[in-house]
Amino acid sequence: MRMKFLASIVATTMLAGTAFAEDLRIGVEGNYPPFSVVAPDGTLSGFDIDIANAICAKMKKNCVMVQQEWDGMIPALNAKKFDIIVASMTINEKRKKVVDFSNPYYDVPSRWVARKGDYKSWSQEELKGKTIIVLRNSPRAEYVAKNYPDSTVLAVDKEPAVYLELAAGRGDIAFGSSVVSAESFLKKPEGKDFEQVGDTLFLGEDADGGVGIAVRKSDGALREEVNTALSSIMTDGTYKQLSGKYFDFDVTPQSAKK
Amino acid sequence: MFQSYLPMILEGLRVTLSVASVSLAIACVIGLIGASAKVYGGMAARLSATVYTTTVRALPDLLVMLVVFYGGQILLNSISDKYGWGYLDVDPYIAGVSTIGFVFGAYLTETFRGAILSVPAGQIEAGFAYGLSRFQVAFYILLPQMIRHAVPGLTNTWLVMLKATALVSIIGLDDMVHRAGLASAATREPFTFYALIGLIYLAVTTFSVLLFGALEKVSSRGVRSGGAA
Repeated sequence: MRMKFLASIVATTMLAGTAFAEDLRIGVEGNYPPFSVVAPDGTLSGFDIDIANAICAKMKKNCVMVQQEWDGMIPALNAKKFDIIVASMTINEKRKKVVDFSNPYYDVPSRWVARKGDYKSWSQEELKGKTIIVLRNSPRAEYVAKNYPDSTVLAVDKEPAVYLELAAGRGDIAFGSSVVSAESFLKKPEGKDFEQVGDTLFLGEDADGGVGIAVRKSDGALREEVNTALSSIMTDGTYKQLSGKYFDFDVTPQSAKK
Repeated sequence: MFQSYLPMILEGLRVTLSVASVSLAIACVIGLIGASAKVYGGMAARLSATVYTTTVRALPDLLVMLVVFYGGQILLNSISDKYGWGYLDVDPYIAGVSTIGFVFGAYLTETFRGAILSVPAGQIEAGFAYGLSRFQVAFYILLPQMIRHAVPGLTNTWLVMLKATALVSIIGLDDMVHRAGLASAATREPFTFYALIGLIYLAVTTFSVLLFGALEKVSSRGVRSGGAA
């Protein structure tokens, strides 16, 4: 009797297992607007979700979104809870030891922000003697230290704090991530008197490695499929249309522009 | 914005309560078995119960959960790959309640052991002297009297467990804390949602304390209380 019961449990789990083995299961997060957000009714939206759906359409697969807490993301991928991760995961050496990444699908440029009308550009001459606010120990802090020897640097310990300091007048111009400056400052009431100065810029591939889609180390073929789908949405205009919905700056990774 | 996320949070409360109560039931069963093994068991039963309570109480809950969920899944995958069964999924709900039940079963083993020992041995002997079977002694004499001693410890365990259920979000179950995090991110109003679930937890724990208090009162009927009971 007991064996029969156990056998039926094994049988049903096996059936449940094979039923969705053909689908592509995508691990997403839901806690990182505007990339991944959960609506009141539980539906997911955001740039990550749109990209996931777009590559899915190109790969002609039936996709299932699996929402996963960030901390368990990589273990869940390796335990085959899902097959790829589309969750704004920055490509870095440490992660590359446990998973493989597709080509980057977006990269966040840096930008300068100051009070409206204060500056026309971010040239060294114009910023001479001024105080630049940056995140401590960030690639941007290195960039400023190297390229603006005649300016003062105010280093803060959190990215959003860059804009608090700017609004409080403790510095003249802020240099930070385009996404953070938009989401936590420029789009909010406290940022209404401030604007972007000049163009956005990428600090180079080493500093901003870009964000990729993670796959298991053993899934080389799937990684190639994802890369093919990514480059096809980038060439057919889908990518531009999707990123335009969320960002007023270009997020196309450097490597895709070459 | 706030009202629109309310149903989602309440659905999370349902998950939290369901995980916590099913886990409590599992923990109670494990606790009773463990306590009986420790008090009445032979050498082997006592030893395994001691190994269980010592190791499980020593490890962080999160660690046990990750090992069971991901470790179990990886083990299952390697077995199924070997036999070509395809992908077998460990259901997060089952993994969650069995892990929490398994962890808190260790605490309840000790609670119940203490409670069993608080029942005077003479009561048990009297039961056997009247010709009751082992089952009758356990059910009619031991259990009703030990509950009184077990309730305070059980209440504590339940309260801790209710909050420990927030760990299940790591393994993909959408509990209340996880949903509050999602709602805060979407609305950029972290304080609102965390304050809300704080109040919900307070309401649930207050209600539980009252309920367990009533249980303690019922199980203590006929016992003279000297004020400090």
